[in-house]
Amino acid sequence: MRKLGVLVFLVLSFAFAQKVHLMWSGAITGPTSDAGKYYAQGVEDYCKYANEEGLTGGLTIVCETRDDQYNNANTQRNFEEALERGDPAFLGYSTGGTLQLKPLIQEVGMTYIPASYHIGNIDPPDSDYLFLPIVSYSEQVIALLEHIAKEKPGAKVALAVHPSPFGRAPVPDAREAAKELGIEIVEVQEMAKGLDYTATLKRFANKGVEYIVYQNVAGPVATMIKDARRLGLKIKHAAAHYAGGPDLLRLAGDAAEGVIWVTSYYMPYEDAPGAAFVKKLGARYKRPADTVESVHYPSGMLAAAIAIEAIKRAHAAGKPVTGDAGREAVYAEMLRLSFDPGLAVGPVTYSEEDHVGVDHMRVFEARGGRFVPISKPFQSKLFRKVHYGK
Amino acid sequence: MRNPWAQTGNYRTDYRQDTAIFATYLEMLSLWAFLAVLLALPLFLSRPQMFVLDLILVYALAVLGLNITTGYAGLINIGQAAFVGVGAYTAALLAPSLPFWLTVPIGGLAAAVAGGIVGIPSLRIKHLYLAIATLAFQIIFEWTVGHSTILKQGGAIPLPRVEFWDYRVGYKNHYYFWYYVILLVVVVLAFAFRNLLRTRFGRALVAVRDNDRAADAMGMHPGLTKIFAFALGGFYAGVAGALYAYLSRAVVIEDYMLPVSIKFLAMAIVGGLGSLVGSFLGPAFLVLLDLNMEDLANWLKSLGLSYAGVDIASAMRPLTFGLVIVLFLIFEPRGLANGWRLVRNFFRNWPFKY
Repeated sequence: MRKLGVLVFLVLSFAFAQKVHLMWSGAITGPTSDAGKYYAQGVEDYCKYANEEGLTGGLTIVCETRDDQYNNANTQRNFEEALERGDPAFLGYSTGGTLQLKPLIQEVGMTYIPASYHIGNIDPPDSDYLFLPIVSYSEQVIALLEHIAKEKPGAKVALAVHPSPFGRAPVPDAREAAKELGIEIVEVQEMAKGLDYTATLKRFANKGVEYIVYQNVAGPVATMIKDARRLGLKIKHAAAHYAGGPDLLRLAGDAAEGVIWVTSYYMPYEDAPGAAFVKKLGARYKRPADTVESVHYPSGMLAAAIAIEAIKRAHAAGKPVTGDAGREAVYAEMLRLSFDPGLAVGPVTYSEEDHVGVDHMRVFEARGGRFVPISKPFQSKLFRKVHYGK
Repeated sequence: MRNPWAQTGNYRTDYRQDTAIFATYLEMLSLWAFLAVLLALPLFLSRPQMFVLDLILVYALAVLGLNITTGYAGLINIGQAAFVGVGAYTAALLAPSLPFWLTVPIGGLAAAVAGGIVGIPSLRIKHLYLAIATLAFQIIFEWTVGHSTILKQGGAIPLPRVEFWDYRVGYKNHYYFWYYVILLVVVVLAFAFRNLLRTRFGRALVAVRDNDRAADAMGMHPGLTKIFAFALGGFYAGVAGALYAYLSRAVVIEDYMLPVSIKFLAMAIVGGLGSLVGSFLGPAFLVLLDLNMEDLANWLKSLGLSYAGVDIASAMRPLTFGLVIVLFLIFEPRGLANGWRLVRNFFRNWPFKY
């Protein structure tokens, strides 16, 4: 009888728990969906887990993942629907979609957490409500340059970037940082979807390039790495978050051996609580191995965890968590959010001046078909100096 | 008599009557009634729904332009998104200093100039080769934007909120305000499109499309006609781009890239090449199909009708888009406009129905 009472209480409390909607809009199909589909699964699974484990402070968070097909108009429509419904925060995806929505985000005051770590998202104007889950691409690239400068002082470096704001944004900061580090950026090459990079690589070799730093997506990086190996070049490759990871290993195979990669997330095979958590959730929600191995799966989880934590804290403070007042309350919590969900190598901390959640990252190296960490969690020493001048 | 409101015979006695747009006053009345419905539509739609409606109308403008270049003049254009982009970037650059009712037509004119320049190769080449030339323009446009600091290298150029007399546009009335602006522009430009074929310039487009040597022999200038087609098609696209820039409140290169050009072509084909009605039916059909497929995909996903690693529900949207194009090309190359023609003919008394 007592058990029945508890069961009835649980069912009733679930049924009468206040529902708060949280939408993610990203590419489950279309360009970059190789990352987006795993990111979406991460959002969905963390949301289910948080509801089931009572991590939502008595609220029921209804997470909805929308496939915007990497189409900005679809992102805008989804954002409008979330706004109309009274959602207190929004989980976004692409660089273009986020940049396009910035004026509207600023006007309506909706907390927005994109999957794009583009520095322009949090640079003024219209950036008050945008929060990056981890360090920006610009900081990642500078961290790679710092690593290279330590490994080979005075090295000659080429940047291979995606031909878009996503790819180009770190270039000016990287040039400044290279000067400070005493290394030389001999060329900046834009590349996407090329089938053969022989000519580019030969040119790099003629210029004495020793390292190529990629701010790109894994596909073209894999092609270039394989071409470099075929040509027998002794150039080392270093990749920012979306340019490397397990996706690159899958695409480049043996050629990826020795590639350096920087990210704030754990790999699922690491001996760390964050990695065990990702595996646990993957198993719990019956995700296939490729989902659990993907770095985009914990990335989606982290974005959902940040939004849910801010909503939970706003609710715990007795504030409304839907509509105009809900957006305001969640934003106020975001500005003082400090917690460690354990999904990345550092805690999530935001403030009025700091809109980057996890400020730390690690350098990995591909060894034996896996990326293994070769550094402790660290922050870039130069990024703030070259980007903000402080 | 069956359908007494419909046309009962051919009573035209001169050329002016022959080129009349409406056969009966009832046809004219039906258009006015339709416009009245369009004017009242915002009373019943939410903001996200209004955005979809605005989007369909903007796409329709771009497809109207494509139907002038490709539908009327037969010049395959796979760079329409770039023309839309020229209009959008022009509007975005001028928006801080000029009112929208000036930036929108200037955006159209800038795209018309670009169209005239892109049309120059059509003096020497045609068919697939010309299509490649328009593709080259698309690529050059993307490259130029990507390397121009004034255009933020493809990053966002925000547009300010507009004011019209004392009416201030905020986020709550944004899509409603722009709906009426876009609707006005659509009505004017659709009217111009419909009347184009009633002018010698419009008829020259079709003549050059069907046989440029014969058109030349009849005193038309095929080269200038082709350039005119590109310029006019570009103007429509540029106006669409400027309106889209205001609608989305920022210009980002991704909205004007090659896949978008392909989408416009798909809309023109599905709607029916060279057709006014098709220019509206194509965008409406593809946009609404996508929305409905999204709902269906989400529903299938919620039922768990996919197994590990294969997300059938998510694949449905791109799959359906491709399938629809192929099915239209095979079974109804004249597009939805032909369906509309068949429906209208069903209700006609004349000819053959007594």
